Parts: sequence; structure tokens; C-alpha cells
Amino acid sequence: MSNARDIIKSFLTYLFIIIIAGIFFIPLFWMVVISIKNPIDQFTLGFIPWLQFEPTTRNWEVEGIRQANENLKALMNSTIIGLGSATIATVLGTLAGYSLARHEFKRIKNISLLTYFLSLRFLPPIAMAIPFYVMMQSIGLIDNVLAVIFIHGSAFIPYAVLVARDAFKSLPIAMEESAMVDGASVIKTLVRIALPVVAPALAAIFILTFSFSWNEFLFAFVLTSKDAYTLPIRIAESVTAIGVFFYALSIRQLIAVIPPIILGMLVQKYIVSGLTMGAVKA
Amino acid sequence: MAKLTIYHAFILITVAYILIMSIFPMIYMVYGSLTNWRLGLVEMNFIGTRYYSDLVDDYRFYNSLAKTAYITAIAVPIEMLLGLALANLMRAKIKFKRLFRTIFLMPLFCAPVAVALMGEIIFYESGGPVNGILNLLGFANFPWRSSPNIAPFTVAMCDIWMWTPFCFLITLAGLEGIPREFNEAAVVDGASSWQIFRKINLPMLSAPLVTILMFRIIDSIKIFDIPFILVGGGGPGISTEVMTIYIYKVAFRNFNLASAAAISIVFLVVIIIVANVFLGRLRKHYE
Repeated sequence: MSNARDIIKSFLTYLFIIIIAGIFFIPLFWMVVISIKNPIDQFTLGFIPWLQFEPTTRNWEVEGIRQANENLKALMNSTIIGLGSATIATVLGTLAGYSLARHEFKRIKNISLLTYFLSLRFLPPIAMAIPFYVMMQSIGLIDNVLAVIFIHGSAFIPYAVLVARDAFKSLPIAMEESAMVDGASVIKTLVRIALPVVAPALAAIFILTFSFSWNEFLFAFVLTSKDAYTLPIRIAESVTAIGVFFYALSIRQLIAVIPPIILGMLVQKYIVSGLTMGAVKA
Repeated sequence: MAKLTIYHAFILITVAYILIMSIFPMIYMVYGSLTNWRLGLVEMNFIGTRYYSDLVDDYRFYNSLAKTAYITAIAVPIEMLLGLALANLMRAKIKFKRLFRTIFLMPLFCAPVAVALMGEIIFYESGGPVNGILNLLGFANFPWRSSPNIAPFTVAMCDIWMWTPFCFLITLAGLEGIPREFNEAAVVDGASSWQIFRKINLPMLSAPLVTILMFRIIDSIKIFDIPFILVGGGGPGISTEVMTIYIYKVAFRNFNLASAAAISIVFLVVIIIVANVFLGRLRKHYE
């Protein structure tokens, strides 16, 4: 009796999990299918190559050769902007996170500083983009990767600060204290003692902020036009006035989506505290 | 006076960077909202609060507020419930746990633009896979993106696809923080799995759930990419024109920066009010 119930229960559990997994997986899978389908077949339902449709490399050739310049440019810009802004966020985040973990500030309390960094997370990007656009225009940085690097750096620092603070907080303070007693300066202690231990967490911060920047659309869209565009903008461009080029779209999407997925899998351990800014610990 | 140390320098550099890049420009925006600020205009003249009072009978402003709330109200509860259900199921002994977990996490790293365009492919009305399957089952094409009544749901569905993994992941982390003995003791006492969930796990999950709720509501209010891309800038008509899109259009299509600044500031006030509901609770996590 209870055995039958258990079987039904576990069957329903698996059914639910498999359906949800299918919903998450099929759109990604469909992109791969579209990218190897002839554009003529793009509105057919077949999804098994060779059996239901004749796979082709034509689309990848078109995107990889005829459109190579634009695609490579977007890839380059995204990479440069990602590396630049992740560096800014990680370096400044580490410095601020370290002082928040190791020093009790008197005039403005640590908790107020933390709340300040946290509340920056709530600022709507569009409200930042308007004045920032005018500011960059006045110094001639519109359509320049630097403008996007600066604003992404600023937008993602709060994550870096809060996660870095968590990482330093979880270190036993004894080693650093004994180094200080031996006369090492704060900077020396940070670089020699603390940094090597929290290096994995810092690498995770770097990777997370890199992915945030890689995926970010609004700032990049407002601040760039024909030179500094990033991959998300390149993807959006596949929708034109004469229609959607599904094959181009799917290939550009795959190029944009695969790196962060791989990077994200590398830092699984830190995602929870990274995404909730340390409010939930994994 | 407190002695200035290297720690102060570390904090100051970081805060200064953010002030220069974000906060000072936004303060400038407050001033700009009181002038006739336009894109390309050289001279700004002070005109007072005209753009604020204009908002009072701006039906598109109210529409954008309503659409933002509407999409949030559809998407966030479903995301949280699905996340909660998945996390509870995944905590049990499941075969291929790692594989499923990986699949559940993949949408988390997709660019929102890519998600919006995936929605465009999947929900394409004449020949897309969803309508294709509906046709096979004998239904007519469904107006996923061209009907103003349906479009907000389609946007919400893309948002759900993208953000359920976040809810799942954080809920799972919260669940894994509950000592297994609690549940085992309850099983020994003969509690049903619903009772265990209701009386033990749910109360202990309240902190992570509040955190998820806050992040999801705030992010959902700020939604831009999906309605902007999926339905061509908040269309059809203005049926998915959320706050951010309306501000974007006023600023970069009508070039009326002053008006956009005024709306942004009202928007900011809305966000601050919502955030303050949660911020006090969240502060406790850091103490």
C-alpha cells in the first residue's frame, strides 16, 4: 500500500523535474537546432538532425566569414569591457571589502557603509544612464569602450565589496594580527597573508562581474553606436526592419551565451553569496 | 578626530569612484529635471517643476507604472513558487542530481537580450515551435506577441524562464542550511512530508525567501531588456511599456532629457519606498 504510494510519489517528482528541466533546456537546444538548419527549414518543427532535417554548416560559414568582422568586433569589445570593468570592480571591491572586514569605522558605522553599498544595487540603470550619457558626451567618450568600462565598473562594485568582505570575514584574523605585530604594514599584510587565502573568492568575484558586464545591455546600448558595440547589441541587431534573421540570431546568441554558462559553472560555490550580495550564505 | 588610516583610504577610493560615476551625475539629473534640458541643447534654462506637474495627467506615465506592477505581479510569485518547489524536490534523493542542477542553473547566465530573442524564436507567431505544436494539436495560431492582452504574459514568461533558477538556487542554499536532524526527527515522530515542509522548512526559510523576494521585486521593477527586445520597445502599442522603457523613449527618442530625468526621479522614489520595506530586515544579515 505505502509502497505503491511511494512509487507514484517518486514518479510524479521525476515527471515534474523532467518537465521543468525540459522547459529550461529546450530554448537553448532550439538555438543549436536553428543554427544548423537551412534558413528555409527554420519554421519546421523537426529537431533531429539527418532524420528530420538536413543539417548544414552554411549559417556558421555566413556568420563566421561574411559577417566575421562585425562579430569579431563585438566579441572583442565585450571581452575588453568585461575584463576592464571586472578588474575595476574586483580591485576596488577587495580594498573596500578588506577594510570593512578588518576595521571598525567610527564616524560612519560599518553597517551604514554596507547598507550604502547594498542600496546602490537598487539604482535603476536607466536613471544612471541619462546623466552618465551627457557626462560622457561632454568629454567625448560616447561610442568608446572606456565609457562602458567605467559605468560597468561602478555598477558592479557593490557586489564585489560585499562578497569580498564576506571572504575576508571568514578568515581567522590571528595570522594577520601576528604579521602586524611583527611590523608589517596593512598593505603588506593584505597582499602577503590575506590575499593568497581568499584568491579563489576573488577569482569568483572577477568571473561573476565579468559575466554581468558581458550580459549587460542597457548601458552598452545607450553609450555605443557603431564602434564600441557589445555582443548583446550585436544580437539585438539581427532583428531588422525586414524581419528576423533567425539563423544569424541563433549563432550570435550561442556565442554570447556559452562563455558565461561555462564561467558560471566554474564558480558555482560562490554564486549564491555573489547573487544575493552575501545576504544568503551557501 | 579619529585617526585616518589606510583603511579609510581604501573605502574612500571606492566610494569616490562610485560617487563620480553614478551619484554626482544623478544629482546633476535632479537639477536637469528642473530645466528645459534636451539632448543637443547648449544652454539650459531653469523652468521649475513643470515636468513634474506634467506627469500628473500623463496617461503613459500611469500606464508604465501599471504595466511594471502587472508584469512583476505575474512573474515574481510564479518564480518563487517554482523555485521553492524545485528546491524541495532537489533536496530529496534524486538520480542525475548534478545534471538537473546544471540544467536548472543555465538560464541564470544567459544575457537577458538573448533570453528575449529566444522568446522571439520560441513564440514566433507564424511557424515558431510553440505555435507549431499548438497547430499540431489542432489549435489556431496564438497571438503571443501581437495581442496587447497576451504580450505582458509572454514577457513575464521569459522573465520566469530567466529568474526561476535564481529563486531555486537561493532557496536550495537556505534548505541546505537546515540541519538534516530536524527533518529526520520529524520523520521519526511520524510527520508527513507536507507537515515537515510547512512546520519546519518553511519557517526556517523565511530569511532567504525575504531576500529573494526583495531582489526579485526590485529587479523586476527595473526590467528593460526583455520587453524592449521581445516586443519591439514595449509594444504592441504601449501594452508592455514598463517604466524603464518609457524613460528610455522620452530621453533618447524624444530627446527630452528634462522630462526623462523627472520621471526617473519619481521612479527612483518608488524604488526607494519598495527597497525600504526590505532593507531593514536585510541589514540584520550583515550584523
